[in-house]
Amino acid sequence: MVDKHDEVKKIEVDYTRLRIPFGPVHPALKEPVLLRVTVRREEVLDVDVVLGHVHRGIEVLAENRNLVQTLYLVERVCGICSHSHTTCYVQALEEIGGIQPPERALYLRTLIFELERIHSHLFLLGVMAHEIGFDTLFMFTWYVREKILDLFEKVTGNRVHHAMNTLGGVRWDLNQHMVDDIRATMKDLQKSVHRIYNFFQDKTVEKRLCDVGVLSKDDAERLCVVGPTARGSGVDMDVRRDHPYAAYTYLKDYFSVAVREKGDVYARTEVRLLELFESISLIQKVLEELPNGPIRVEDNVIRLMRRIPEGEVISLVEAPRGELLYFVKTDGKEGLRRLKIRTPTIPNVLTLKPMLVGCEIADIPVVVASIDPCMACANRLIVVDATTDSKKIVDMDFLRRRRQA
Amino acid sequence: MNTLIALLLAFPLVFVISLLFDGIDRKLHARMQRRIGPPIIQPLYDFIKLFSKERIVPTTASSRIFTVSPIFAAVASIMGTSILLANLMLRENTGGDLIVVLYLLAMSSVLVMVGGSSSGNPYGAIGFSRKMSMLIAYEVPLLLSILSVSLKINSLSYYDIISVQIAAKSMLALTFPSMAVAATAFLICIPATADAVPFDVSEAKTEIVHGPLVEYGGPFLALFKLAKSASNLALTLLATTLFFYLPAVFRVYALPGLSDLLICLVFALIFWFLTITVPRTIFARLKVGQAFKFYWLVALPLSVTAVLLSVLGL
Repeated sequence: MVDKHDEVKKIEVDYTRLRIPFGPVHPALKEPVLLRVTVRREEVLDVDVVLGHVHRGIEVLAENRNLVQTLYLVERVCGICSHSHTTCYVQALEEIGGIQPPERALYLRTLIFELERIHSHLFLLGVMAHEIGFDTLFMFTWYVREKILDLFEKVTGNRVHHAMNTLGGVRWDLNQHMVDDIRATMKDLQKSVHRIYNFFQDKTVEKRLCDVGVLSKDDAERLCVVGPTARGSGVDMDVRRDHPYAAYTYLKDYFSVAVREKGDVYARTEVRLLELFESISLIQKVLEELPNGPIRVEDNVIRLMRRIPEGEVISLVEAPRGELLYFVKTDGKEGLRRLKIRTPTIPNVLTLKPMLVGCEIADIPVVVASIDPCMACANRLIVVDATTDSKKIVDMDFLRRRRQA
Repeated sequence: MNTLIALLLAFPLVFVISLLFDGIDRKLHARMQRRIGPPIIQPLYDFIKLFSKERIVPTTASSRIFTVSPIFAAVASIMGTSILLANLMLRENTGGDLIVVLYLLAMSSVLVMVGGSSSGNPYGAIGFSRKMSMLIAYEVPLLLSILSVSLKINSLSYYDIISVQIAAKSMLALTFPSMAVAATAFLICIPATADAVPFDVSEAKTEIVHGPLVEYGGPFLALFKLAKSASNLALTLLATTLFFYLPAVFRVYALPGLSDLLICLVFALIFWFLTITVPRTIFARLKVGQAFKFYWLVALPLSVTAVLLSVLGL
């Protein structure tokens, strides 16, 4: 008893250190995640990322459904990059079943893909502007984004969950009217994006974004960071170019990958801004090259599904947030034995610690937003760090295997 | 006696005008962002609605300070603004000079800090320390610019300064170079005093969840909001009357009724638009260090120059 008392006495309480819960509900966060931040005055000393507030058990649900039902399930992994998820999943199934979707379908998939990238990046840029208190830019960016959502509605009938993909092709075709609409919108968009680009070079914006949350190239490679977060740190990677899928096989030469070396928040933002321009020109190219022909192999999806044998495949796409990976293992009886989804946020969220330590409190929302976290996507693992000194990263071996492949 | 009546009249007037100006500010802010925006009397609706809400005092808060500080903050800033309005209505010195007004305005800011830090919320504590830095940053140039005016006029009475402008039939800021510099420093200080973007570091919504106001809701929040609007009105009114007393130029002070007061209020609204609405529309929020640096490197030298110039007699 006496010993215990002495022990308590010995502990020095550092009253200058303040532990603030940044989340799970916080105006800067669009989705629940808890950052346990230790600060001394304005300086961030330590960060502890706690995920798991929106875990929905999608992988388990997928094992209890048939292949086509799962297609609609994985669409709901994420509200922003829903098309990336279905494309990645459908690609895997087509690989296992040896189904070759027609060329027009591939082009249409790519079209929706790039529209989705624009909509996702504009979404993020708006959030970014909101985090730094620049609400006018936030409103303008989202106003522009609304036009893309309108296009989605026109083409697929849905603004968010497009349900465009199906086994062996796509569900909806483009008519001339839609093509004209998309062309006109892209023209408008180019101007608006130029304006947004200029806005982001405003002095007060640069003051908040430059030299904040720096992620070195070494750290980026060590943490297997993907997507714009990696490209902002000088890691030149893009699945669309490195492992082309859908119509990117034919369009490889028509876009360049924006890479910035600095690794700060501004670099990541700039990469996304430049990708907007690339996506716009890519969409125009897709519309030009759009081949004629059928949009799916067969109208009866059930018959197609029955043809898919037992097998396992890893499928990759470049979602707006980065490389999205699906491991699909079918059981040959219309079902799945295992579905493993590695969303881009999972590696990216790990970078929050090296980025945030040493920053100011004011930088936390900006840095968190800069990796474009999609918490609903990421809630399948628990990362405990720093305070308890134990690290538990689910399926790290799996990631390593993928890197070697 | 007259003074008392004027003050009693000014109290509800401040309440209505400041909330109305706040509503106009929100509407213009929205229009500049391509939004429709709330109706102009939305802040009044908000006030009434917030008063019908439950009073919540967090268990971690020291409840007496927590509940008392919003009341005192509202009273202080409404009183400060009322003194200005009473002066303008009676067209004479009604007692209570510039020092009192500035003291009351500063008091309402300090009470926001105190209330926030008494809530026991870590965000309140961070808001407290940020507000403290900001107070040090903007209060000094603000007071110095007022000081240069009173040095120039040789009086600390509010209406004396206006009388000088009426006698000269000109605005103070356009007559003396020292006053022009002082006016600039004063106007630069308004956005920080009003906690408007880019200087709203103490309330930064996305960073520290409204800082000191984080635990406040219901009537307490309504009172703090009222205090903020009233002190904004006082500041813009001060800028209008001390440096740019337009009725002196238009010579309407001789007209019957309160035409000079009306003109002052209209120009206060214009200054509100220029110093609060426009900055918060076109800028991103600065960090506390950057905001502090701005005030000590831009506003402070300006106000010191103003004081020096007025001492030199310019």
